[in-house]
Amino acid sequence: MKATRRTVLQGIGGALSLPLLEASAGDAALSSGPPMRFLVVGNPYGAHPDHFFPRDFGTDFRISPTLRSLDWLKDRMTILSHTDHNMVSGHGREISFLSGVLPADSQAFAEKNMSLDQLFARHVGSQVRYPSVGASLEAGIRMSWTANGVEKLPITDPQDLFDHLFLNLTPEQKAVRRRMLERNGSILDTVGSQFERALKQASRSDRQRADQFQTSVRELEQTLADRTTWLEKKKPSFDISEHFTSQVTIANRYDAIFDMIAYAFQTDLTRVASVEFPAALKYTDIDGVNRSYHGCTHNGRKEDLVSELVAIESFQVERLARCLKTLDAIAEPGGEGSLLDHTIVLFGSGMGYGGTHSNRDLPIMVAGGGFAHRGHVDARDNSGRNMPLCNLFVALLQRFGVERDRFNTSTGRFDLA
Amino acid sequence: MRCAILMIICLSALPAAADTALLKAHCSRCHSGDEPEGDFAVSTLAAAVTADTVGLWESSLDYVRAGEMPPADESRLLPAQREEIVQFLEAGLRAYNRQQTVQRVPVRRLNNREFENSIRDVLLIEDVGTHLPTANLIGDSLHHGFDTHGDTLGFSKFHLEQYLESTRRIVDATILSTPRPPSQTYRITPRQIAEAHTSQNTTRPERRGTRDRFDFLDPLKAAYFEPFEVVPETGWYRIRIRCTGRDRGRYPSEETGMYDADPIQLTVQMGGRSKTFDLPDDDVVELELKEWLAAGTRLRLRHPTDGLRMRGNGNFKFQNAITGHYLEQHNPDLFQSVLASARPARNGRKRSAYDWHHWVDHWMGPRPQILSAEVVGPTFEQWPPQRQTRLLGSQPELDQATRILLPIARRAWRREVLPEELDPIVTLVREKAKSLGVVEALKEGVVAILVSPPFLLVDQPQLSDDERFAARLSRFFHSTGPSDRLRRDAAGWTNYEDVRRAVASEIADSEELPFLTAFPTAWLELNDINFMAPDPDTYRHYHRKRVSEDMVREVLTFFRHVVKENRPVPELLTADYSFVNADLAVVYGLSDVPADSTLRRYQFSDGRRGGLLGMGAFLTITADSLGTSPIHRAVYVMENFLGLHPDPPPADVEIQEPDVRSARTIREVLAAHRSDKSCAACHRSIDPWGYAFENFDPVGGWRDVYQNPEQKQGPSKGGIPVDASAEFRSGTRYRDIVQFREVMRQPASRNRFVRCFVVKLLMYANGVEPTDFTEVDRIVSVSAAHEYRMIDTIAAVIDSPLFREAN
Repeated sequence: MKATRRTVLQGIGGALSLPLLEASAGDAALSSGPPMRFLVVGNPYGAHPDHFFPRDFGTDFRISPTLRSLDWLKDRMTILSHTDHNMVSGHGREISFLSGVLPADSQAFAEKNMSLDQLFARHVGSQVRYPSVGASLEAGIRMSWTANGVEKLPITDPQDLFDHLFLNLTPEQKAVRRRMLERNGSILDTVGSQFERALKQASRSDRQRADQFQTSVRELEQTLADRTTWLEKKKPSFDISEHFTSQVTIANRYDAIFDMIAYAFQTDLTRVASVEFPAALKYTDIDGVNRSYHGCTHNGRKEDLVSELVAIESFQVERLARCLKTLDAIAEPGGEGSLLDHTIVLFGSGMGYGGTHSNRDLPIMVAGGGFAHRGHVDARDNSGRNMPLCNLFVALLQRFGVERDRFNTSTGRFDLA
Repeated sequence: MRCAILMIICLSALPAAADTALLKAHCSRCHSGDEPEGDFAVSTLAAAVTADTVGLWESSLDYVRAGEMPPADESRLLPAQREEIVQFLEAGLRAYNRQQTVQRVPVRRLNNREFENSIRDVLLIEDVGTHLPTANLIGDSLHHGFDTHGDTLGFSKFHLEQYLESTRRIVDATILSTPRPPSQTYRITPRQIAEAHTSQNTTRPERRGTRDRFDFLDPLKAAYFEPFEVVPETGWYRIRIRCTGRDRGRYPSEETGMYDADPIQLTVQMGGRSKTFDLPDDDVVELELKEWLAAGTRLRLRHPTDGLRMRGNGNFKFQNAITGHYLEQHNPDLFQSVLASARPARNGRKRSAYDWHHWVDHWMGPRPQILSAEVVGPTFEQWPPQRQTRLLGSQPELDQATRILLPIARRAWRREVLPEELDPIVTLVREKAKSLGVVEALKEGVVAILVSPPFLLVDQPQLSDDERFAARLSRFFHSTGPSDRLRRDAAGWTNYEDVRRAVASEIADSEELPFLTAFPTAWLELNDINFMAPDPDTYRHYHRKRVSEDMVREVLTFFRHVVKENRPVPELLTADYSFVNADLAVVYGLSDVPADSTLRRYQFSDGRRGGLLGMGAFLTITADSLGTSPIHRAVYVMENFLGLHPDPPPADVEIQEPDVRSARTIREVLAAHRSDKSCAACHRSIDPWGYAFENFDPVGGWRDVYQNPEQKQGPSKGGIPVDASAEFRSGTRYRDIVQFREVMRQPASRNRFVRCFVVKLLMYANGVEPTDFTEVDRIVSVSAAHEYRMIDTIAAVIDSPLFREAN
């Protein structure tokens, strides 16, 4: 999609202004000026280090093979070498990507293993129609977690994502929907009050799940109420059909997802989006890829398998790069610069490199967000220890407007202004 | 009570001084100081067990009992001294366990399997419905393969909303508040049968049948009846299909990948329900189904086969070349005339004689063929239909709401329910009846019962002891709530003999016991079999014949056999038999297996295979796609067969990436790794559990040499010989898998295995590992007293306080 400020205004007309105008009664501290947004893109296996990390540090680095499609953004990005969450090796720990905390250890943290995107979503609250949007194909990679320590699953079908974000219901459909919201509300009301006492009687050890139930009832009631309000308001209209007129590939399905997110940012439908590249997806669409993603990570250093892996990783970056170009071509609706300047972009993984099962040296790239970017940074401290990735997250939190100087396992704040 | 406990500790601490001295003398040379080996200092054990050290006591006891610690090469511990240490550690644990209250079981939500089965049984229907009403449910995260793990099964507003939606869909297809819809007859001609596209790419037209038949040409593609693609109204449907099987055995079996002895089959898939029929060769039969189908269900027909993927990348079009070879031999005239009339490719190049392009129109592979079909429905044996009146009665009245909902709530909440408990829900029903009518309002009541904590959360405190026992039993065996009969009977099973009889009859009475599938799937992490599938270029048979499915079926068939026949538990591991079919015979290198897909008992005489240790499933799950790792296999054996939990490597260790190009064997790589002292401590204990399997390649096939895929030609073509020998820290050695299996039959390994099996059963039942080491020991001794028989062992678990009183 080639979107300029003008086409957007033409395309949306009066419909667009509605959510924008009404998005002011939020609960979070509201700064004047355009909102900050957050886009995170993750994968489960990290990246082949030799191909992901540039060879030299500083702002005058040469772009690496995996990141080649971002060459145009070279001066406006930060690549971090030597960060981690101090996790032991092996699969299953990458789910700590956005929190630094594993579900098993989450009891020790006030917000459990709540991920960065969900923390941002909570901060935005009901200022926008959708506090956050998560998308993937086929399956997720378990990177979004709520404050209850419960996984938030992505929408895995572009058509469903489209319906969710942009499909406007007919008046009859709205009436049906409203009646169903009301019926579900009554049931929750009944169940919630009926079992309040019984759940309170639960012994201390059972309390947690009982509390989770009551919290779920309350939160869902609130969600249904919000939904009833938003039901009356028109969604912006959008067309993704161009992606599906020819052969349907994973490339144009991901492009459709990214286009929808860019447009949802632009129309302030949401400010937080996450996109996942799962393990189970058939990457064989991509030129030169014949094997499963996981199979390619365990390449035994065979050159042809390594190049298949790098093709998959480059593909992920290419999809993101295309989206960043789109964001950069759209003028910020309510302020200076482009949409990209007001969107914090994070690409990475909670795993360092699948081939060694290492969870050190995570592949991490930050762009946008109006930061003065630093090129390729060696994040180790003076004694050569890796930097906790949560230090970077503290910097992102502050830029997003969350007043905090620590986050889970952080030991400081990564210097990014 | 507290005084008594203190006394016990003091008493057991008295003789302890001598034993701590023994521990110190024999263990502290390695296990002390700033960097003790294995990150374990013997001084941390102290004189008595605490919550922090109980894990260390347990593993210390396990290692000493098995003779692995202190290691044979560094210690001269006399057997009597070893026994002394064992008794000291056992006594410490016994004293600690005595203080423990009942096994704590985390409250958890139903997992998705239990949710579906439970709703089915509450509503007295055959399944949740054919319209995939639970497809929206958030998947269950697994904890080491288990979908019953309390802390992993989270609950959130997302879950609650999905439950609401699913429950509504299920109830809507069971209780019909609309007027009775008229029945229709759909007569389907072959021309009205179309081959559905498999991808979203819908630009090409769908293939249809001819005037008199529809043939399933591409087994990947399902067919559908155009006049009846989607079920329009919920109700009973009678489906009749006139069909036959064609051309079985016409093409050579090795080319099609379909065995001549397997019947041709047709699957009728009705959304989430499917039925498969064997078709006779060339005789037309009329299949008849009578099914309750929910509105919105898609009806699809398939040719189920794991064959016809032997050429190219498995894409069906490439298989058409088989016809070329066949015609050349059996009908040379036709062969020549097809080639003579063949047009060159668009780019002008001439296609080879066996190119699939030429032969598409002449395909005569084995396939089902449909001649005609008829669908009649929706019909109803009465109105409102029986399944509705069974729940609500024929003419439900509002003032009967409590009476109507009470039995539903009892089944749903797995306990007695007092009428007044339903008051809030009845109030809701009354309120809703004003706008929705009585039936629709009662549905709201049913939905409310099913999205409430007593249904969605297990082991609620309101259950009486008997009710909880019945609920847990039913969940263990059937993955659903207890039947009325079970609730009544379970209260009487007060001792081991009662429980044993009950377990035996549960196992004997039910053909499709969910336990027999769900437990081994979780325990052995069978869902991971293709997490890292063997390399498709190197292990073609595995992919072309979907051998992973056969491997999983082998495990499940074997497990089922051991349980149903009440064989001893250790037989699971080291039996000299298994269940194989022709596809597995290729992997296992067997020549005397009938050429078909049926799994049959097979006796191995080479001492290498049989039982779980020799199965392709285990050997594939633990392998990389191109190579094998003794570490992965060792860790799997330790975790799943021995109940040992080796620590993962620390975060700061640099891990060597395997290099298949290198001529070094994995043993040489690991030897280099072990020369690092910090790695060696753990690896000396881990590696011996994995080397024995080095003769098995990534799909579990036997190899005498490592075939380096890079060196198929050239000087080292013969490959490097496999060395599958190793020495345990106990001093026990083995030369190869045959001797390793002997070690596994020894009492020390056998007890570890049975113990591990018991722990896994309790994990499955309770959603958490048992905390009472001493009680698990007792269960194992009951099992031993009954020759470790399977049913007796399961009964000992169920009769244990760890199961009965867990709360």
